[in-house]
Amino acid sequence: MKTRVLRYALLGAVLVSVIYLALGFGSRSFEAYCPFGGMEALWGLFQTREFTCALGPLNLSMFLAVLGLAFVAKKAFCGWACPIGFLSELAARLGGLFRKGARRPGPRLNERLKLLRYAALVVSLYFTYRLGELVLRGFDPFYIIFSGFGHGTLGWITYATLGVLVLGSLAVPMFFCRYLCPLGATLDPFSRLGFVKIVRNRELCTACGDCGAACPHDIRPQEMDAVRSRDCTNCLECVDACPEKGSLTLRATL
Amino acid sequence: MNVPRFFLPVLVIAALFGGYALRTSFTQPTAQASFGGEGSETLVCTVEGLKCKGTAGFFMKLYEGRPGIASIETFATEHRAVFTYDPSLVTPSDIRAIMEAPIPLRDGREVQVFRCAEMD
Repeated sequence: MKTRVLRYALLGAVLVSVIYLALGFGSRSFEAYCPFGGMEALWGLFQTREFTCALGPLNLSMFLAVLGLAFVAKKAFCGWACPIGFLSELAARLGGLFRKGARRPGPRLNERLKLLRYAALVVSLYFTYRLGELVLRGFDPFYIIFSGFGHGTLGWITYATLGVLVLGSLAVPMFFCRYLCPLGATLDPFSRLGFVKIVRNRELCTACGDCGAACPHDIRPQEMDAVRSRDCTNCLECVDACPEKGSLTLRATL
Repeated sequence: MNVPRFFLPVLVIAALFGGYALRTSFTQPTAQASFGGEGSETLVCTVEGLKCKGTAGFFMKLYEGRPGIASIETFATEHRAVFTYDPSLVTPSDIRAIMEAPIPLRDGREVQVFRCAEMD
């Protein structure tokens, strides 16, 4: 069975659960489950031992769980559970961006644009900590989509933001995750340490490049012994794409 | 050491459920206030309309200067308020009446902002 079927089943289950919560079923808002909310709550908790705005203990515990997960299996949360990552991936598949030969940004430009997610992290934490409110909800696709442009969105600015994200996702695979996700930026250093990773067997690998073409984040496993990249979500698309059985394997290694 | 593929979804599900289970370890109020005085009884209310720090602050203002209310803790994500009160000065139905009282707007209309869905 292709791993993607299993992965999409889990991603679909999470997406349905979030929609269920967003429709008002369940005892908590869908926002209460956002791991990045835990990061945003830290300063308020440190200062006053109170949660900021609509954040609560579940945000913090989910954040710590996702951080722990990154220590073990890199950004597996992004590849296997994040609903925004799932929607981005579906958009990219819809746009045919994973076809071999599809145009992708060059490595240098890609690396430079990735710095934007650190800017997004700094800006979102600065304003949340400074104002004690989730003032950037109008720019957060998770909130915009699942609240249905709810309280705190910013009219045409929010529509424009979502428009840019949709168009970006149709042009560059995982546009938001690569360049703008503040949770992704937070997980980066932990993801580098993650010890469950994809390892290449040099003797079996023919360096055909199928793995690199299948990678949603433009990592090139054919050029490395082990995928230590901070961007790897352990989605296993590269393993599925590899024509040489046993050339790429999932291993627990330092 | 080779890791089977199904390890990843199992790990992710374990992390999500683990995170959910861990939430009670981090319970802190969204806002809290002490109004002075002694409170010997505790009342826990599930409050519709209690959504965030802003509404929690507004909610607590309703009880400022009310006799018998010693302290309030609000938990916005759980829509919960915990009152400590003096039963000789205020009753649970008084506390409920205060939160459910219509609030006058500038244009003369009145709205009910909070509703007690459950009392314990």
